[in-house]
Amino acid sequence: MLKLTNIETYYGQIQALKGIDLEVNEGKIITLLGANGAGKSTTMKTIAGLLKPKKGTVEFLGENVTGLRPDQLLRKGIALVPEGRAILSTMTVIENLEMGAYHRKDKDVKDEIEHVMQRFPILNERQSQMAGTLSGGQQQMLAIARALLSKPKLLLLDEPSMGLAPLIVAEIFNIIKEIKEAGTTVLLVEQNAKQALKIADYGYVMETGKIIIEGKASDLLEDPRIVEAYLGRKSTSDDKIPS
Amino acid sequence: MLADIINPYFLQILSFILINILLAISVYVPLSSGQLSLGSAGFMGVGAYTSALLTIHFDIPLIIGILAGACVAGILGIIVGIPSLRLSGVYLAIATLGLGEVIRVIFVNWESLTKGSIGLTGIPQMGREILNFAKGFGFDPAMIGLKSNQFVYLVIVLILLLLVIATIWFVVRQQNSRVGRSLSSIQMDEKAAESMGINITYYKVLSFTQGAFLAGLAGALFAHVMGYISPSDFSYHRAVEILIFTVFGGSEVILGAVFGATFLTLVPEVLRFISDYRYIIYGIVLIILMAVRPQGIFDIHLLNRLKGLKRSKGGVR
Repeated sequence: MLKLTNIETYYGQIQALKGIDLEVNEGKIITLLGANGAGKSTTMKTIAGLLKPKKGTVEFLGENVTGLRPDQLLRKGIALVPEGRAILSTMTVIENLEMGAYHRKDKDVKDEIEHVMQRFPILNERQSQMAGTLSGGQQQMLAIARALLSKPKLLLLDEPSMGLAPLIVAEIFNIIKEIKEAGTTVLLVEQNAKQALKIADYGYVMETGKIIIEGKASDLLEDPRIVEAYLGRKSTSDDKIPS
Repeated sequence: MLADIINPYFLQILSFILINILLAISVYVPLSSGQLSLGSAGFMGVGAYTSALLTIHFDIPLIIGILAGACVAGILGIIVGIPSLRLSGVYLAIATLGLGEVIRVIFVNWESLTKGSIGLTGIPQMGREILNFAKGFGFDPAMIGLKSNQFVYLVIVLILLLLVIATIWFVVRQQNSRVGRSLSSIQMDEKAAESMGINITYYKVLSFTQGAFLAGLAGALFAHVMGYISPSDFSYHRAVEILIFTVFGGSEVILGAVFGATFLTLVPEVLRFISDYRYIIYGIVLIILMAVRPQGIFDIHLLNRLKGLKRSKGGVR
């Protein structure tokens, strides 16, 4: 569905991605793991069109989409939930959801907002509240719900568990699983390797701008290199500094 | 009877208020997409000089001159807007302030065209042109009990009022549309707006250009109300003054821009009787306001409360 071939992205003179090859198959959860600064978010931004790669191609549904603008990519079906809960804080929850369907012109938006709110009951409860007054976990759910309203074929989630309490993280991961079961492909960037691999079908591990390991998620969970590097500690979520 | 009420002095102040409202809106519109532009004075100058030169040298109708002035300012807004949108916050403010100064210096030095710092005189005055036009049809202000100069100022105020109302109507309509939604989401969070599929470059240039167009329009009107312009009318002081209108009144709502321009144009006039101290008072008012109410007099909460007040009164009735 999505295919990256030899992607190289730069921040000015600094090369952040050194030839990334990555494939996302329809109907799966693919996860991208790695430490801070490995280039996970850069990869996401490149796919979503926020950054333009210097070399390489991004193909989506067999079409070359390299270098398109984010709004063009969204129309093609790639939606990004950016890192750190980018919500519109002085709009209400319902207005935020409506903004998610910004580019759509069909008449089902109202029904679908209803539908999404059933999936996220907390948003239904708080629909007329300012989004900025929600808690961190609720904001993250709002950001995901908003992205779903653009009816994406591929949902890019950039560290949805960042800075959230373990209980909320578990809830978010359940939701991601449900999204996949409802037919949306998910590409998930995570530092929380254990949780991510549990719900994912396939995983890639990045280090300093390169993919060093890839494989089935169930295999990666057992892989001694990964266990040592990422799963060694028991602690799951709040042992990192937000980037 | 009518003639006694209509005092040219009041009418002139009223017309300045209306022009200042247009200028305040020209800052408000870019600000509603999160861009602080201090280029209004420069764009105003471009509009004023374009319209004045066109009407003086080519004898074209005022309305076309004014529109041309606004359009030239708008086009300049696009040209300047595209590269400067990489900047944000104070950096954009400084860049646009610099632009205004460059424009002013060009006016001072391009003497063959602009007559330098002496300024342009003999710009067709809007009210007189209309008076002459009306006289051509055999109309005389005395027929409705007015002196000629009263009629002239009255016509100016009416035209400006119509333009201001049209502008406010347009901006309010736009705010409640898809365009307005994307502008305010860009203001809140550019990254989020981008990930929702909003073409942020397009909308930022759009709002910046609208601001430039409005400033150009106000400048062209200013030229044809005053009949005389010089580069010092469009200096750095003017840019700051325009910004203060918007910030003082409240930069979140359009009513703030309208109120700020009205109030701050009136204060120096009302305080004329203590002329030596009036700018001290003006300054103190600004300092107190910024310390006590940094978001300006009007904000969304105050508006909602006022609306609530009206509604509850209606309920009692």
